[in-house]
Amino acid sequence: MTLQPATAAFYYMAVASVASALLAVTRRNPVHGMLWVLALFLHVAGIFLLLGAEFLAAVQVIVYAGAILIFYLIVVMLLDLPGEEARARFGKHWPFAAAIGISFTALAWLALTETFEPAGDEAVSAVARASSEYEGSVADVGMALFGPFALPFEIASLVLLAAIVGAVVVARKRTTEP
Amino acid sequence: MIVPVGVIIGLSAVLFGIGVFGFLARRNIILMLISIEIMLNAVNLSLIGFSRHLADPRGQVLALFVIAVAAAEAAVGLGLVIALNRNRPGTGVAELTELKW
Repeated sequence: MTLQPATAAFYYMAVASVASALLAVTRRNPVHGMLWVLALFLHVAGIFLLLGAEFLAAVQVIVYAGAILIFYLIVVMLLDLPGEEARARFGKHWPFAAAIGISFTALAWLALTETFEPAGDEAVSAVARASSEYEGSVADVGMALFGPFALPFEIASLVLLAAIVGAVVVARKRTTEP
Repeated sequence: MIVPVGVIIGLSAVLFGIGVFGFLARRNIILMLISIEIMLNAVNLSLIGFSRHLADPRGQVLALFVIAVAAAEAAVGLGLVIALNRNRPGTGVAELTELKW
């Protein structure tokens, strides 16, 4: 079996995203960590593109890499953290954290091999046929978003409004003592 | 489909595990929040993988909602970081002991 270019691109992006996520959580300097998270988000956007989710890839680049991450970087630079370089990189309990992360991943892999290995079943092959013919389109997402998901969509805008007001209220400087 | 769906879900599990590790191990509140973003991104990846596998656009819609909630979480979380930093400079969570007695 020859390696298709799209499959090779997927495996490159998978390896690059895992590597940049690992670097992001282990760098001592928060700004370096942020830049590795930026690399992670862009590679995940590439995976979205390969999986036929063009709209989500654009949203990932615009909202995650463009808005959320820049917001984090602005806060890091605003706070001016001189002691961060000298501080220990992890808490003392980091082996436990590593054990929990690894065991979560191992459990997910075990569940995965249980779920997706038995091939040849009639239903499974029907699903595989449907997904090989399926080309995701932005129109499908739009029809779903403004059809059955119209109410959750409006509620999401309400959540964002509450978050804007909440962030302003929490971060505002108190000028008068209550 | 270019890769089996199991590979996508496995990649999502690995990224989620890295996010869990970062959230539990780091003692800087900003890096803990960014680890939450890594976890949310891993969940989005699995939703897109299932959307492709089941030939159903609803997975992409759910991923869009996850991104909206992530934006809200970033705004409120960083507002809290700024408020904490005003009371006590620095972003270490080990020093935040005012509620202990």
